[in-house]
Amino acid sequence: MNPWLGGAALLLVGGLGPSLWAAASGGAGRRVVAQNMATLLLCLVFLLLAQGYGRTAYVDLALVVAVLGPAGTLVFARLLLDRDSGDPPGARWLTPVVAVATPATVIPLCIVTGPGRATVKLVVIGLLLLAGGVATTRAVRRG
Amino acid sequence: MADVLVVLALMFVAAAATAAVLNRDPARQAVVLSLLGLGLAVAFTVLQAPDVGLSQLGVGSALTPLMILLTVRKVRKGKGRGRE
Repeated sequence: MNPWLGGAALLLVGGLGPSLWAAASGGAGRRVVAQNMATLLLCLVFLLLAQGYGRTAYVDLALVVAVLGPAGTLVFARLLLDRDSGDPPGARWLTPVVAVATPATVIPLCIVTGPGRATVKLVVIGLLLLAGGVATTRAVRRG
Repeated sequence: MADVLVVLALMFVAAAATAAVLNRDPARQAVVLSLLGLGLAVAFTVLQAPDVGLSQLGVGSALTPLMILLTVRKVRKGKGRGRE
């Protein structure tokens, strides 16, 4: 059994499943937060899959999600959220989850990969994720 | 392990598609639709077709929801003007 693929499966069930539930029910704010959480976790899933399958090319998918996911969330925050409804439920959890989960995934991957271009790419993806998490949290909170 | 991932990804896609159908408000459907796109990208990747997943991500995560939301907004504005 491959621990990286196991981690990806765990993240798929424990992270994306609840996100889907939150995105399919409840108010608009909760849905946008769930969509944001899903893209951030999906990026980590792709990183784990790339390591689990042993194909470094799959890291590109994580890079694309790290760029496009926050862009999608900003679209929703701009067009779907009310201006004066206040903090959507769950918005305060976004930044802590990203701040914990991203290093917890990227640092082991960097250690396994070893120094080189691939590690730089992983670090860049991690930084993009952190920046995207902070930016979307601000956008969602402002409404 | 790979088969488990395929089954999980397909179950996620099925659940997301069902949820997208059961939601009736188009703007909220767009959020579920974007999650469906993400799920499809995972499904394509675990089936070893990352190129398809890449294009699915580009279209499904940002572009389709943007077009749906802009359309919904335009239609609602048009309706409001018609009543006045």
